[in-house]
Amino acid sequence: MDGAAPLFRMEGISKRYGGVRALEKADLTVTAGSIHAILGENGAGKSTLIKVMAGVVAPDEGNMTLEGRDVTFASPAAANHAGIVCIFQELSLIPELSVADNIVISDPPKRFGMIDRKAQRRIAEEALARAGASDIHPLALVKDLPLSRRQMVEIAKALARKPRILILDEATSALTAADVAKIFGVLKRLREQGLALLYISHRMNEIAELADQCTVFRNGRNVASYAAGSKTDNEVVELMIGREYSHIFPPKPARPQAGTPVLEARDLSWSDRLDKISLSVAAGEVVGLGGLDGQGQRELLLAFFGVLRGLSGQILVDGKPVSIASPSTASDDRVGMALIPEDRKTEGLMLPMTVRENLSFAALDRLSKAGVIDRGAEQRLIDDMVGLLAIKTAGLDIPVGALSGGNQQKVVIAKWLMRQPRIILLNDPTRGIDVGTKQELYQLMRKLADAGAAILFYSTDYDELIGCCDRVLVLYDGAVKRELIGAEITERALIASALNIHGDDARAGQGESA
Amino acid sequence: MSETTLGGIAGRMPKFIRRADPAVVTAFACIVVLLLVGSLYSRSFLSPEYLLQQLKVASFLGVIATGMMLVILLGQIDLSVPWSVATGAMMACAAAAYGPVGVALAIPFGILCGVAIGIVNGIGVAYLRIPSMIITLATNAVAQGLMVVYTGGFSPQDAATAAMRYLATGFTIPGVPNAVIIWALIGAAMVFVLTRTSFGRAVYGIGNRERAAYLSGIDTRRVVMIAFAVSGGLSAFGGVLLAGYASKAAQSMGDAYLLPSIAAVVLGGTSILGGRGSYLGTVAGVILITLLQSILSVMQMPEAGRQIIYGVVIVVMLLLYGRAPASR
Repeated sequence: MDGAAPLFRMEGISKRYGGVRALEKADLTVTAGSIHAILGENGAGKSTLIKVMAGVVAPDEGNMTLEGRDVTFASPAAANHAGIVCIFQELSLIPELSVADNIVISDPPKRFGMIDRKAQRRIAEEALARAGASDIHPLALVKDLPLSRRQMVEIAKALARKPRILILDEATSALTAADVAKIFGVLKRLREQGLALLYISHRMNEIAELADQCTVFRNGRNVASYAAGSKTDNEVVELMIGREYSHIFPPKPARPQAGTPVLEARDLSWSDRLDKISLSVAAGEVVGLGGLDGQGQRELLLAFFGVLRGLSGQILVDGKPVSIASPSTASDDRVGMALIPEDRKTEGLMLPMTVRENLSFAALDRLSKAGVIDRGAEQRLIDDMVGLLAIKTAGLDIPVGALSGGNQQKVVIAKWLMRQPRIILLNDPTRGIDVGTKQELYQLMRKLADAGAAILFYSTDYDELIGCCDRVLVLYDGAVKRELIGAEITERALIASALNIHGDDARAGQGESA
Repeated sequence: MSETTLGGIAGRMPKFIRRADPAVVTAFACIVVLLLVGSLYSRSFLSPEYLLQQLKVASFLGVIATGMMLVILLGQIDLSVPWSVATGAMMACAAAAYGPVGVALAIPFGILCGVAIGIVNGIGVAYLRIPSMIITLATNAVAQGLMVVYTGGFSPQDAATAAMRYLATGFTIPGVPNAVIIWALIGAAMVFVLTRTSFGRAVYGIGNRERAAYLSGIDTRRVVMIAFAVSGGLSAFGGVLLAGYASKAAQSMGDAYLLPSIAAVVLGGTSILGGRGSYLGTVAGVILITLLQSILSVMQMPEAGRQIIYGVVIVVMLLLYGRAPASR
């Protein structure tokens, strides 16, 4: 593959955070006009590697060369100037500003010292068009856009900086299938224009479709480089996790007999986002929520959890109507509900607080007598959870923000399991998580269901819905459009009903009879 | 996969291995420097009498800053301190005019009035979602108005009760002023609340990320409400002590405590954005501010110069430890 002279080369790059080695003599060679995929579990060093490339993090040792010349980047701006632009996993847009403002934010066009609005809009439109998102209005406020559209803006913003090396870190994890297809078109065109692209994703099919060259990272080292397509998926996953990789999804049990539903909704409506949703989840059942992104799935979970005001309809727990006014009522012992929120960094965790404080945070009322925390009980329960979920951390008293994404997500889940919830609502829990952790989560989910929990599971990943769920409810425009049971859950059925192709199918409807 | 799966070994590391907060260390270092600078000017700065006197003066600020810290940890602010202090003092003195029962209930009544102001603040911030900067400023103005109406524009004639004077100036333990003991007790209670209770955890949680705390099933509004009530109560208690110290209540007695209480908390390393800080830091901040004020006045610096130096020193010290280790 290395016919052309490398555009950019990193040699012997090491980086330590405290006692943790994030990178250990890592090497990487980037060639112009190719798409280079970087694979590895979370915590394998991928994110650190690209942070070094993008000038966000200074390496402890090692050197980088751009077109044969040694370079060091003192800041992200310096890296940008050299033509290296990175689209990070965490969105970097300012919600209160318009799309155009965000796109040119680092270097707005000026006229007489003032921002030239016309030129700014032109640049934004151009960049959006290059990103294949010309349907986004440049004057729309970023906060009004759904997550997937924001990601498109993020890509446009990067392109507006005219990069030579473009790094995409999990840039598609929040995107819908249609957007991903568009982005791929854009990326392939950029490759033809001679850009070097570094692509980081946990989605194997994306890498298979896109990449020319792949490098696998494990424990801070590059363990293998190969031309795309020369290894099977299983071989690649084994390289990533360093162990034998077998069935990613645990087997589903035989269809459970009808029991009393633990969680039930009747005609749940909320503003114009939820439209008379009725559903029920029985003990031991994993019920999936499918459909395109933003069809009311998140609102539905929040509605159950008592977050939404002005909800109409009824929620029943164990067959009895309950009124859930806040998350604290939802999580008390009579209801026993837990919500694993969408965004672990802002909704699930308090990042600067310690692992210990985060783990026990949702269960403080159970761990304390007269408001005083029983530290022995806290420690025992935390030890149980850390063991049960195999949370990897350098200690309980380090900030939870220092853990890798997968381990952070485990902490979010563990903090709720400490309450032993009977009803578990999961909002896209595997977003941006490595394969190994995903697999553990799938198994955990099934284990919890087998132990009698009722699980409602929203995922943007169709494979997960197919692999994990006993039933899937497909939402469209705030209503349940279709229910798929057992073997009916196929990719084809999911996509068709997500797009509401069989909208007036006889099977469509809200009711079901578990 | 080389990271060890944690069993709890690392979690039980001895506490002294955990690094001390650099801000707290800096604050204590600044105290030492101030004392040394002062001692160059006059020997008496290092005498036990002077230091004990400073500690006594500091304890009034300490009580008030304790409540302020709780509110700042939530990421809020309490600007109603001046008139909470004055209300506490004036109402306690006023109650003393109503016979022996009034005298007996003077102190709790004064504190209760402060709690009432705090509850109004809490309702505004937690339930009505009014920014704390606005609502506490408003209640401060309302409290001021009420006090002016009550006194008819004059200082109240009622003097502080014997109990108030005893709390502020007496000695239960020989050599240690009561005010210092009170501050120590309140401080110990606050340390316990912040580190050992679920309320304390909730305060830090809300300060760091209110949304995550709310979604974790914490009744965030109740916590915010209680914190403001405690802050109001402690301000008023500070006022009661000040009235005992000065033997009488005065209208403007709280004005000198707003900026110092905020500065003491922030200089002690508590993040003004909430969620981070330790009570030890606040103790250091309170002593630091008190010493600074004292040394500047002993040096007979004119008032204008004192204010300038006071402000500049606060900015400089904040710059000193606004410098957390770079994340690069």
